[in-house]
Amino acid sequence: MGKVLLKIENLHAGIAGKEILKGIDLTINEGEVHALMGPNGAGKSTLSAVLTGRPDFVVTEGSVTFRGKDLLAMAPEERAWAGLFLSFQYPIEIPGVSISNFMKSAINAKRKAQGLKDIAPGDYLRLLKEKMAMVKMKGEFAKREVNVGFSGGEKKRNEIFQMAMLEPVLSILDETDSGLDVDALKIVSDGVDALRTPQSGFIVITHYPSLLESMKPDAVHVLKNGRIACTGGMEVAQKVQTDGFESF
Amino acid sequence: MAPKVYIAGRDEIPRKVSLGAGEELDILFVVFPGADCSIEVDVDLCGPGADAQIRGLYLATGNQKVDIALDVRHSAGGCHSRQLVKGIASGSARANFYGRIYVAQDAQKTKAYQENHNILASEKAKIGTKPQLEIYADDVECSHGATIGRLNEDEQFYMRSRGIPEAEARVLQMISFLAPVAGLLPEDLANQVYESLSQCQD
Repeated sequence: MGKVLLKIENLHAGIAGKEILKGIDLTINEGEVHALMGPNGAGKSTLSAVLTGRPDFVVTEGSVTFRGKDLLAMAPEERAWAGLFLSFQYPIEIPGVSISNFMKSAINAKRKAQGLKDIAPGDYLRLLKEKMAMVKMKGEFAKREVNVGFSGGEKKRNEIFQMAMLEPVLSILDETDSGLDVDALKIVSDGVDALRTPQSGFIVITHYPSLLESMKPDAVHVLKNGRIACTGGMEVAQKVQTDGFESF
Repeated sequence: MAPKVYIAGRDEIPRKVSLGAGEELDILFVVFPGADCSIEVDVDLCGPGADAQIRGLYLATGNQKVDIALDVRHSAGGCHSRQLVKGIASGSARANFYGRIYVAQDAQKTKAYQENHNILASEKAKIGTKPQLEIYADDVECSHGATIGRLNEDEQFYMRSRGIPEAEARVLQMISFLAPVAGLLPEDLANQVYESLSQCQD
């Protein structure tokens, strides 16, 4: 078993005075993939928002450590520098900013935080091409404005592309598979496979077992009413598929 | 065709323009951080088929005061006009936009559009916008839109979640906001605008 990547203890959190997470305990070790399932409103997206530091969410109790550091004390950008990544359920459009410039800003900000110089233009171009090929995006993709005029599938592929560019240690995929056709789903799962290392971890939030079948999670959790109601292996995902969330 | 660019305080921006049949005006003004300025442009489309495009952007910082007044009069029919002004006020700056579209009774088949969008980048900055439509013809296509807002927080969080620090994310958001106007500038001038954005913080 690898070292502990993320340790969530008794996490209570909410938004606008309403408690949504009511005591979450979850530990993710290096090299592990954890699936998070649950009905709408169970708190799945709240958990990803709290872990990545969305300003409007408030933690009222509990702790989260990421690679031994207090995650909740870090600004969103510091969490990214430390190796946390969220694939957004609803990626944001940024008109007037190209994907290439957006990613260059992100990479150089992290390098700056690490005391490194900006990435050399040639190295950046190579990285861009390599990762674009990985998500099967064509050359003009990097010049497009971030998510502007993208189809649902393209937005999700762009999230996976960004994940590949930033090489995170822990990636949270928030319903990245929702609304994807078979081909796009394969691109997502291939992307995740390519980024899986003995040191990296994944939290995959999903409604469907199909992505999980290819990802072979180490644990499947069912989140219900702000708590983890059940933890197991793929059999839990199968039970969700056949019986729904009522049975948990 | 690129618009003719005017820098407030450096160039003399046309004050009154009348356009005869088929004549065109395509201007873009830029207000950089610094001195107070007042921009007034009156355009009269007095010959059929005339076309006027007035675009502008302003960056107001410190105690700067920026006044912009555009008056577009459609005296003749079958003319087109577009106004697009985008700006950011920070510090204790004040910006006021007044824009009018006037369509005379005989100016049928007029197409006239006006948009003014503004960002308040600080608590103390103040922005006013006063769009006006005065239409006396009945067969026209006119629209106007005016907004005053703050930088979008979802956008900001998206950028920060990728590792872009807050201050830099704000600058990127401003670039994104200004792009429809700044994108028409020659590259060196556009870069000058983008570089000035770091001054548009609280």
